[in-house]
Amino acid sequence: MEVMKMHHSTAFLLPSIPLEPLTYALVVLNQRLPRFTPLLWNHCLAAKLRVCADGGANRLYDEMPQFFSQQDPLHIRHRYKPDVIKGDMDSIREEVLNFYAKLGCDAIDESNDQDTTDLHKCISHISNLTPDVEKSNLCVLVTGALGGRFDHEAGNINVICRFSSMRIILLSDDCLIQVLPKTHHHQIHIQSSVVGPHCGLIPIGMPSKKSTTTGLKWNLTDTEMKFGGLVSTSNIVTGDTVTVQSDSDLLWTISIKSGNHDVTAEPIPQHEITR
Amino acid sequence: MFGGTGCHCLRDRQSLWEYLCDFWIYSSYKPDGVKGDMDSIRREVLGFYSKLGCNVIDESHDQDTTDLHKCVSHICNLTPESEKPNLCILVTGALGGRFDHEAGNINVLYCFSNIRIILLSDDCLIQVLPITHHHKIHIQSSVVGPHCGLIPVGMPSCHSTTSGLKWNLTNTEMKFGGLVSTSNMITEDTVTVQSDSDLLWTVSIKSGDRTWFTQS
Repeated sequence: MEVMKMHHSTAFLLPSIPLEPLTYALVVLNQRLPRFTPLLWNHCLAAKLRVCADGGANRLYDEMPQFFSQQDPLHIRHRYKPDVIKGDMDSIREEVLNFYAKLGCDAIDESNDQDTTDLHKCISHISNLTPDVEKSNLCVLVTGALGGRFDHEAGNINVICRFSSMRIILLSDDCLIQVLPKTHHHQIHIQSSVVGPHCGLIPIGMPSKKSTTTGLKWNLTDTEMKFGGLVSTSNIVTGDTVTVQSDSDLLWTISIKSGNHDVTAEPIPQHEITR
Repeated sequence: MFGGTGCHCLRDRQSLWEYLCDFWIYSSYKPDGVKGDMDSIRREVLGFYSKLGCNVIDESHDQDTTDLHKCVSHICNLTPESEKPNLCILVTGALGGRFDHEAGNINVLYCFSNIRIILLSDDCLIQVLPITHHHKIHIQSSVVGPHCGLIPVGMPSCHSTTSGLKWNLTNTEMKFGGLVSTSNMITEDTVTVQSDSDLLWTVSIKSGDRTWFTQS
């Protein structure tokens, strides 16, 4: 049986919107916004796919105007308003909730559901809104999932493992993480102006008996990886493409370059976007 | 004033008194050893601590282990076998930042699972609970908690059992892609854990007044 290829890129960190079939969605969790958040926002052009998880709405409200210090904060808050605010609503401030509700945001209170994290709820919501036929072209970008409390971080990594058939990328100022499911051979296109060279492959949750890579300084060749043994960290990307295949779901992580993110460039207005 | 290294110069508009206070702090909190591949330490910092008698060990030839691994090995080698059960290594700076660094540091905990090593950040701590033992975790609630978690990082756990948590486990299976105990809460002074797999225990550290640490 022929193994399927899966292509990955970080074109969403480039200032220009590339011609590619992917549809982006954005989830904002409750940690400091990465400096390139306005750039991510501009890539999420489809309606109803910009979601704040509870206190993530506070972050949007407080911190988005800081990226545009020369502009009126109210104007920025109107421009960068979420489509949905979802979660148990125990972190979002009342004035923030009212502000966005008045602008037409859907606020969905799920405090009755204590079994799943806010990120899980947001991913489910986005997944439910996406027709099955479009799911393979969907890429969910998530800010605020890393750093802070480690149990939150582990819970967020668990969400991307649970939804391993979906492209979900956790982003911080320093790096990104995504799952490479074992069902595919992966080709990761490296946009070296914005990512790298530091990278890693992590056998999260399960040892991997055989993993093989190309394009890294220290490649794997049917190499075993496990916690307590070898885990590929502090590796270096050496070319434009990295390939990975494994008998186990792996976490791929790559550093994000500081500087170079022109987030103050004017976004293309919605009515000028042709789809 | 003392010559030799850049950091002994008075900064602009710094008074002699401020300089002496800074110097007292720098030399009161000096490390015993500086170890690693030396590609990040600033030259004046290295010079300063060398002059104060710190042991500087350059291991840049060893690209197979992380800086944390080198430091933990060093501490283990200095510790007699009989004293190892009473040794507890506290680590700052292992969490946050680049995720591959964080994963590499967590892997060090698993490589040395018979040694107590605690990774600390402003927000939380992490340590491995090895399968070889039943664990009793005494909670000092003035400084830690209530948020906590148990994470099967390297391997699924078929059976884990706990007490003292809001959502206890009872021979419960945990694995990535399924149930992982996060956003749990401590409800008693003692938490107990036993499992068929090495678990990562994490508990939140309380924010608030930290001025107590400046008292000698």
